[in-house]
Amino acid sequence: MAVSPGPGLFGRYLARHNMRMADIPLWAAGMFVALLWSLPFLWMISTSFKRSQDVMTRDIEWLPRVVTFDNYIKVFEFPVIRWGINSLVQATVSTALCVFFGAMAGYALARMRFPGNGFLFAIFIASLMIPAEVYVIPLLLAVIKIGWASSYQALILPTVANVFSVYIFRQFFLGFPRELEEAARMDGAGPFRIFWLVALPLARAPAIAATVIIFTLNWNNFLWPLLVTFDESMKTLPVGIAQFAPVVGSHTQLEGFAVSMAAVTILSVPSLIVFFVLQKYFIHGISQGSVKS
Amino acid sequence: MSEQATPASARTDAVPIDWAGYVFVAFFTIPFLLFNVLPVLFGGYVAFTEWSIIGAPAWVGTDNFTAALSDEWVRNAFRNVLLYGLIIVPGVTVFGLLAALFVNQGWPLSAVARTFFFAPYVVSATVIGLIWVWLLDTQYGLINHYLAYLGLDGIPWLTSTDWSLIGVSIASIWWDMGLAFVLFLAALQDIPRDLLEAAKVDGANGLKRLYFITLPLMRPVISMVITLQLISTLRIFSQVYVMTNGGPAGSSDSPIRYIYESAIVRHSFGYASALAILLFALILIVTFVLRFVVRER
Repeated sequence: MAVSPGPGLFGRYLARHNMRMADIPLWAAGMFVALLWSLPFLWMISTSFKRSQDVMTRDIEWLPRVVTFDNYIKVFEFPVIRWGINSLVQATVSTALCVFFGAMAGYALARMRFPGNGFLFAIFIASLMIPAEVYVIPLLLAVIKIGWASSYQALILPTVANVFSVYIFRQFFLGFPRELEEAARMDGAGPFRIFWLVALPLARAPAIAATVIIFTLNWNNFLWPLLVTFDESMKTLPVGIAQFAPVVGSHTQLEGFAVSMAAVTILSVPSLIVFFVLQKYFIHGISQGSVKS
Repeated sequence: MSEQATPASARTDAVPIDWAGYVFVAFFTIPFLLFNVLPVLFGGYVAFTEWSIIGAPAWVGTDNFTAALSDEWVRNAFRNVLLYGLIIVPGVTVFGLLAALFVNQGWPLSAVARTFFFAPYVVSATVIGLIWVWLLDTQYGLINHYLAYLGLDGIPWLTSTDWSLIGVSIASIWWDMGLAFVLFLAALQDIPRDLLEAAKVDGANGLKRLYFITLPLMRPVISMVITLQLISTLRIFSQVYVMTNGGPAGSSDSPIRYIYESAIVRHSFGYASALAILLFALILIVTFVLRFVVRER
């Protein structure tokens, strides 16, 4: 082809990434937007390493003048490890149950024909519209009454039924070809075998999306853990951190700002790790299939 | 198909009922009933009472609803939340789709771009309060700092009644996009590659392939993202709470912030529950209208 980038090293590098010379301006623009998008986040990390007197400056300083770990040391004077363990237990157990149960329910709603199927889905979606701020108080009173206050089961069980999970899997299976399941059915496999051996292994992309999203929601969950933990040792990380990083930002004292940034940086690490670990499954895309000659 | 033998299948014209479906949904539905539906039903009852946690709820009929309908703050908050929806939902959907399409190209450094686009989603509301209040500060904020470079006047993002809703919306789009982005990216992975290749062979350029193949196949996911984002935007709370607390003069207030104030701060649980039911009705209507606009298939 006349417009092909030629056989040079750079040309071959671009071709390996499914890219032509003409794509370079678009690529540069996209990367610039990505960088802009992350600036507030990067600034948060940068500020967490600044000395408190360097935080508020007349001109914006992107990098710390002096890198200090004092803010992190101050954060660890609080029982953040214990809070972190609580958060980790809550978020992992709740997310695992939610994604697995959600996959089963979403599969059934998309694939199986039974009376009440559509009604159940309508109820699930309707429940998304109800503000937690209202039913959280009756729920709290019930949880206290059965003696679950400040317990792991109180942190975990009410957060398991997150409808996002069902919705994601249902939408995925709606658009997914039936042939493989039909073939398994012909071979005499029952619905549970088909789900476990055929459908679930193919649902990797929605499972990852659901895991990332629900883990993040659980990890950052604030209102419910705040209300249900009376014991300092049972607090979750966001609730504990809020004690020294006041939630209403405008009231934050200047000297506390850098420490708050260190705290919220720590807070955002686990969700990012989950994303990092799982994101490699997002790769490949259309890049492998296009071999130009 | 062993289910064919059951008598119920005879009634539904040879379409067998998958009884296993009930087992599949049960695992999710049982905690859902216990921890969502039951408290919500109780909340529905409380809406017709006066209750401040202490003592038993006292039945007052529809008093809470009539009070809410004549409450100026309620009208204001409901009007605001529709504006939030009009700004945030298209913003998140369009940015999320563009970002996912860009990253899905697999161009150099796409892993970095992927992380950058997703990163804001993992931060908590506290961060929104800390960072965006500073970024949008009228005098020292980064955004006005760069507007000044372009010769533009500083905008009182969070301190003026004209701009506060837009200021909160900008932060919301930044915060929420990660969800749409991840869902779109997952959907793009499942588009059959041979379809796109075939179209390429037939001479369809990138935009044509996007319009005739990619977008139609992504329809269920786009519909889901818009629905989820609309519902979550109509329930907007944390960012309002941490950035402006609804001010100035209620110009960025939202129904849930007002419900929060009524319930958690003022302990008027009856009134708060009534407001929640009104908000639920609004969300239901808007979502219903939306389902006609954005079809799944």
